[in-house]
Formats: sequence, structure tokens, C-alpha cells
Amino acid sequence: MARTLTMIEAITEAMAQEMERDERVFVMGEDIGLSGGVFKATAGLYDKFGEERVLDTPLAEGNIIASAVGASMVGLRPIAEIQFADFITPAMESIVQQASKIRYRSAGGYGCSLTVRICCGGGTGGGLYHSQENAAWFVHEPGLKVVMPSTPYDAKGLLLAAIRDPNPVLYFEHKKLYRTAKGDVPEGDYTVPIGKAETRRQGRDMTVVTYGYMTPLCLEAAEQMSKSGVEAEVIDLRTLSPLDRDTVLESVRRTNKCLIVHEDKRTLGIGGEISAIIAEEAFEDLDGPIVRITGPDVPAIPFAPPLEHAWMVNTEKIVAGMQKLAAY
Amino acid sequence: MASKSGRAVAELETEKSENGRELMLGLYQMLVKCRMCDEKARILFRQGKYAGNFYSGVGQEAAEVGAAYSLREDDWIAPSHRDWTANIIKGAPLKLCFAQLFGKATSPDRGKSTPAHMGYPPIHTITPASSIAGQLAVGTGVAFGLKRLGRDTVVVSFFGDGATSLGGFHEALNFAGVHRLPIIYVCQNNLWAESVPLRLQTALTDLSDRAKAYGFPGVSVDGNDVMAVYDAATKAIARARSGEGPTFIECKTYRWYGHSEIDPAKYRTKEEVEAWKKRDPLVLFEKVLRDKKFLTDELKDKIAKGITQEINEAVEFAEQSPYPDASELKDHIWAQE
Repeated sequence: MARTLTMIEAITEAMAQEMERDERVFVMGEDIGLSGGVFKATAGLYDKFGEERVLDTPLAEGNIIASAVGASMVGLRPIAEIQFADFITPAMESIVQQASKIRYRSAGGYGCSLTVRICCGGGTGGGLYHSQENAAWFVHEPGLKVVMPSTPYDAKGLLLAAIRDPNPVLYFEHKKLYRTAKGDVPEGDYTVPIGKAETRRQGRDMTVVTYGYMTPLCLEAAEQMSKSGVEAEVIDLRTLSPLDRDTVLESVRRTNKCLIVHEDKRTLGIGGEISAIIAEEAFEDLDGPIVRITGPDVPAIPFAPPLEHAWMVNTEKIVAGMQKLAAY
Repeated sequence: MASKSGRAVAELETEKSENGRELMLGLYQMLVKCRMCDEKARILFRQGKYAGNFYSGVGQEAAEVGAAYSLREDDWIAPSHRDWTANIIKGAPLKLCFAQLFGKATSPDRGKSTPAHMGYPPIHTITPASSIAGQLAVGTGVAFGLKRLGRDTVVVSFFGDGATSLGGFHEALNFAGVHRLPIIYVCQNNLWAESVPLRLQTALTDLSDRAKAYGFPGVSVDGNDVMAVYDAATKAIARARSGEGPTFIECKTYRWYGHSEIDPAKYRTKEEVEAWKKRDPLVLFEKVLRDKKFLTDELKDKIAKGITQEINEAVEFAEQSPYPDASELKDHIWAQE
């Protein structure tokens, strides 16, 4: 039976259920035990499963991931939390050189079944170092799967899929969606397939490719455009690596136009890659330029409200992009 | 035994044991095997038989053998670039070790990893990354996992003096201390991190002092004295196995050759190199064995001949093995679900 849950409730439930089901699963990270996490994603887990399986770690992101990699190499299924995506840089070695390459460099001799939960995203006044959305860094590294849900249903299903996946999966959670995204979530066990995008809205006039927190904004923008007769199709990628090229290309071949929307910085963002895929595979089908609405090439999201507002992609900016594309 | 002085007593406990002769001859045989394999690996590189590079551990064999010799089959080793021979000590067939040098399809990683960066999953040696502290941290993670599984297996982590300067080293040892992980950190302090001398690496005299900061014991031993290393290692392994936690062992030693085969090591003086060569761990141990009448010329020859034959067969196997097919490029990126 389904109930309405917030995204963060769905995330907590997924972890609790999987820890119940599989004793190899445990959670580790900063402030996740006694305090239940900065955003309370692990609330209640410490009382239920104890310190053994809900482990507060030293303040050392590199070692959180490295110890999780090592633990996974002996058959455990760790869920490691990175409290803010902004703090993932000390763990780049562990993620990029170890987690993504241990299977390849040992020709499958050693595996790495690891889930890294990463809280990301701006729009909450977090400032330079509590706001970044840097999932694209990891999309550049084969050997890592990268996902980012936009609904509570997907949050639970993708997290269960990530924990059960025999590969390292980076699971990005947008903090803005934690309590604003609400929706039906089944009580029982289910997974959402990694590598499959979801078409959130059908439309004949253009394809909008997006993910994470930008998804509800794109849907809102599409409804506004609908009033003027333009019907946008909205694709929520859900998985950033491996990209669901087929869903994107099939849609673009039908609508002949593509708008890409992401919160992350513009240059070499996911939008750059999707643009290239479309240019390579569906060039003949395009009736207009590929348009990107993205965060700016500015080092990070500044604190002052007008500056943060100027950074963030919002419905108005997306509508403007849609209008530009609709004119072709 | 005093912790700092290396070999403070004339005779170590292990030497007095009933199977002392058998043990010491076993250690000797392994020292010779590592030396001969390593020298062969260098020759093969210089002959252009394989590309890439090789990081010789000649001169450091007593540290390597002493630390790893008493490990059980189910114990783990996290080697670094200079620890190709750790695989040999742990029991990897020589054929696979030489196939590794050549990057052949018969090597454990089917030619993916580089010549000296060898791991072999059946004997639990971890295929190393070149990022030194990364390897050390993952080895610590394996110890974390083993402890969680309730096993009494241990991990030996091999690294050099340079590795102790990395942030990841600190993070890993701190974590190991907090959770009393079953791991033995074996630092082969050979005085030079590639071309950087120890005085520019650390203000410490004894690197084992670092262990204090992590709340577990540290010892510094003569890394060219195989029995001193063996003694420190067996104590540390027993300690780790019984759940008491990690130990840091600094083996003070020296690499005879450059950082790698393309490094002429002109930054070191001839006098320094010659002084250390006079303390050749094999010669030192041979003298101990001869004094005890454990080793004769005849036995020495027999050991060397046996190893030579094994090496020759291994090299032949490696040379005749095929390279991986280009179609394997994209294999092993993902686990098959």
C-alpha cells in the first residue's frame, strides 16, 4: 500500500528496510548516528540497529569512502554518507582512483558494491560550500554509476537499487527536495532501474531533458507554456551515468527540438554531453538549436539572496528558454 | 625487547624455538627467491622484454619477507609499487608474477595493471593503485570489513617513508586506531621518497613515533635484519588477530637502485649506497645461518639452483603467453548483475 511521504522519509525508509532485509548493509558517515544526520536522513536508524550498523565516523571524507570500498571488497554492502557534496573533494581519491577502478585494475578479481549518499544542491541559502551540485564530475568516470531522484517514489526505489547494485553507485539527493517533494511511496519492496530515464510529461513540441530539483521546475514551466499552446515533453534522467540515451534520442526525433536544464555550472556539464549525443545521433532530426538553461560559470553559489537568486535556474529562466526554442 | 632499539637482545624468541632451523632456512630461501626474482625482473626490463617500468625492492627484502612470511593463507596484503615480491611471499605462482611484468593475458589482471602493481585475489593481495595513500586506506578498509565479519584474519599494509606524509595516511591510521582494526602498517623507510631525502619529508627520526598519535604501538626495527622484522611482525600479527588492534612497524632499510628502472638515482652519494650494500640483508642473514651451522655451501647452491629453474620456467611461460586481445579493453568496468 502506498502512502504520501516526503523524499527524505522515503530515503530513510529505504535504508531501514534494506538493513532489515540484508545484514551485510550498514551505514557510515559524519553525524549520522547519534544525531540522525544533519538533514535527519538516518533518523531512528541508530536506535533501531545500533552503533555497529549506524556508524559515526571521524571527520574524514576520504577515509569514509576508502573504508567503505575496503569493506565492500570483503563482501559487505556499505552505504556511506557525504554530508554535503561540497565536502566530497577529500574523497576524490577514494571514489575516482579506488571505487571506480578496483574492478578494472584487478580484471574483476575484486569488486566494489558501494552506495555513496550525497546531499547536494542550492537554493537554500547555504552559501558557497553547502550548495554545490557537482554530480557531473563523476559522470566522467566509467566504473561509477550516478543517480539523482526527483520524486519520493524514485528516491526509495533508486536507493534500494543502488544498495543492491554490485557496482559503486553515487546517489545524489537534492536538499531542496527533501521536504518539498511529496508523493506516493509503496510500503513494500521495489526498485527503480538504474540507467532508465522517466518521461514525466508528454508533449509534441520540444523535449526538455533535466534531472533532480530542476524536474519539478521544468514541469511547472511546461504547464505555463501549455497555456500558449506549446507542449513540452519533460524527461527526468534519474540516472546520469550510464545515461539513458535511447529515451532522450527517441523523444528528440519526435519533437525535433531539445532544451536541456540543469542546476550545475554550464561548461562541461551534463548538458554538454547530451548536446553532443544529440548532435551525433539525431542531427538530421533537429529543427532548431539545442538550448541549455544551466547554472552560470561562477565558482560557487554566493550567499547573499540576490546573488543566489541570480545563480539559480528558476521557472522564469526555463520558460524563457522554451520560448526561444519554440520560435524555431 | 625494547621497542625502539630493533634488536636489543642477542637472541630472539623465534630463534630459540624448536623449529628455529626450519623457520630460519625458510626465511632465507624466501629472501633469496625475492632477490633473484627482483634482479631478474630488472634484467628483463633492461633487455626491453617488457615496457612500462619496474620498482625494485632489492636491499629491502628482509623487511618484506620478515613482515609477510608468517601470514596465513586467508590473511591480506595491501602492497605498494615496490612490493611485487609480496605476492611471491604470499604464495603466488612465479609464472603469474612474471606474466604480470609482461602484461600478458595470463597475469591475474589480464594485462590491465602495470608490471609492479600486482595483486592476486586468491591469495588476498590487493592490486595496487599508484596513489600510495589510497592503497593504504583501502587496505585499512579491508581490515575494517574483516573485523565487521568477525573473522580473525589480518591485513599487512606495505608502504614507504614518503607515504607517511599524505593526508590519507593520517585518516587511515586514525580510523584503524579508533576501531582497533586488525592491520599491521609496515613502513619500509628507505630514506628516499623517489629523490626526496627523509630530512625534507619529516622532522621525525623514528617514523614509528607517528603511531602514538593514533593510539597504538609503534616500533622501529633494523629493516635489514630479517629476524628482527619477523619477530616484530609476528607479535603485531598476533596482537591484530586477537582483536587488540593495529601496530606500526618502521623497518629502517635502503633500496639499492633508483626509485624505478629509469631513475639513475644520482641524488644519492656513492658512499651512502656502498655503506648500505655492506649491510646486505641476505649476507647478514647468511652469516647468522652459517654460524648456527644451518647453512652449507651445498645447501646454498641447491636453493639457488631450484629458484633459478623456477624463474626460467616462469619467464618462458610469460614470454610465450599471449597478450590480451584488444576486445578486452572494455571488460571488467562493470560487474555483471
